[in-house]
Amino acid sequence: MMEDQADASSEEFANARKEMDKLVYESLKGREVKPNALFAKLSDLTRNLPPTKELVNWARVNSLWPLQFGLACCAIELMDFGSARIDAERKGYLLFRGTPRQCDVMIIAGWVTKSMVPEIKRLYEQMSSPRYIVAFGECATCGGPWWESYNIIKGIDEVLPVDVFVAGCPPRPENLFAALIKLQKKVGGNIEG
Amino acid sequence: MNITRINVGPVHPSTHGVIRLVVDLDGDTIVNVEPHIGFLHRGVEKLAETRMYMQIPPYTEKLDYVAPMSYDEAYVATVEAAMGIEPSEPAKYARTILLELQRIASHLLFLGTLCNDIGQMFTVFMWAFKDRDMVLDLLQEAAGSRMFYVNMRLGGLNQDLPPSFAEHALSLMDYMEKRVFEYEKYIEKNPIFNERMKGVGVLSRDKAKELGVTGPVLRASGLNYDVRKANPYYVYDKFHFNSKTLQDGDNYSRYKVRMLEMQESIRIVKAAVRAMPEGSAKGMPVKLRSPVPPNRISIVNRELPRGECLMYMVADPQKPYRLSIRSPNFINLAAIGSLARGARFADLFAILGSLDIIMGCVDR
Repeated sequence: MMEDQADASSEEFANARKEMDKLVYESLKGREVKPNALFAKLSDLTRNLPPTKELVNWARVNSLWPLQFGLACCAIELMDFGSARIDAERKGYLLFRGTPRQCDVMIIAGWVTKSMVPEIKRLYEQMSSPRYIVAFGECATCGGPWWESYNIIKGIDEVLPVDVFVAGCPPRPENLFAALIKLQKKVGGNIEG
Repeated sequence: MNITRINVGPVHPSTHGVIRLVVDLDGDTIVNVEPHIGFLHRGVEKLAETRMYMQIPPYTEKLDYVAPMSYDEAYVATVEAAMGIEPSEPAKYARTILLELQRIASHLLFLGTLCNDIGQMFTVFMWAFKDRDMVLDLLQEAAGSRMFYVNMRLGGLNQDLPPSFAEHALSLMDYMEKRVFEYEKYIEKNPIFNERMKGVGVLSRDKAKELGVTGPVLRASGLNYDVRKANPYYVYDKFHFNSKTLQDGDNYSRYKVRMLEMQESIRIVKAAVRAMPEGSAKGMPVKLRSPVPPNRISIVNRELPRGECLMYMVADPQKPYRLSIRSPNFINLAAIGSLARGARFADLFAILGSLDIIMGCVDR
């Protein structure tokens, strides 16, 4: 009985999603996007859907908001990631927010010093669950070139759980894009942790 | 007087890195600003004592990650001074070109982030980063990497500039000339921009001298000091360029000086590309055992995009005994107290943005 219900609701969601994709596609094809009308139609479609896991995941995957938080060199590439060439907004994660309370993803971009650890922990605790961490660059992954330094911790995974590691010193902005697509797959449940 | 104490940072959208500012306010007027630094300290100077000479450039590059090539060059020039090596003539030209391209890229980043700070959200940022990407593409063509190059070798570069480089550089500089004009045209007519920049955060000539600030911050306060003019290195004395000076010392002058400097850099790049002599710019390959440096102490000063950097090195046979770095950012940051005193709280970030601080260089 329960399974039947779940099947029915996910079928309903799949149909609604098809229709939504069609709506978005048609509005883009016409070269004249009227956002308000489109959003009204979309919300009409989604309003009466049962809150299934698929629906929640779909919404979550397509609006991962990163925290505007840069530590060091990689933060410059993070800024580039948000700029014109990469255009991260098309995948739903440009909106860099200034406060951790509105964010889903924290991108650790740079080396983590001992004096920075309590601050990062506090930021992480202020983010609302579910929250994800991307270790961006060698320094956040394993300490990188500062392995022998007396003031650097060897990777942010010593203190916080990391979802995606990105290699490179610094990684190109395209790498971050790929990493966030990977994170989307993980959030959507398409691949195992 | 009722003093309110407000903490800003260390993580704040407008602090350009990780700096903590403890601000004392009387109403909305700043009484005192106390910067707390050290959140990015990683001991570059100490690490340099454990590395061989040509293993150190990757560390010095990461001091100022907006202009890595400049620091790379400053360090390699210090080692060259210790070893008594003089770069070849084509290498001097190539280095001048690369340094000036790096200066343009750095000032473009300054422009984008400054406009973000004062509320022109993201429009100028997008433009500036698009143009910066084009400069980085050119540097990538020359050095093989996008952000950290490690391109300097003793006596020259890692590799020659590619044959297509001159043509690409000239066409990009033509484009940049137009773009800088466009930036000035669009930004400077904006009333919000003028309101927040003109007459805010004034650093007087005497105060600037007293604090020891350098670079565009100093030149905006009416003192004409530029290492490229005062102590010319490479081929800077062969070209005609002005080190622009403005008299007001406010946020607007600090912005304007950088825009004028970008135009001068474009002129230098064009002239240097046209005058580039034939021959290889390649330097010595990196060897595990470097030659024993004949000079024990070497001091080199360079004009980085953010001010004067001075590197002092005491040499041992295989590795430096001591490498000491005068960071321009650290000394420019010291001006924040006297600049912000008396300003409104909202202007603090316009002032900090106009100083153009890189925290990696402050903390070292």
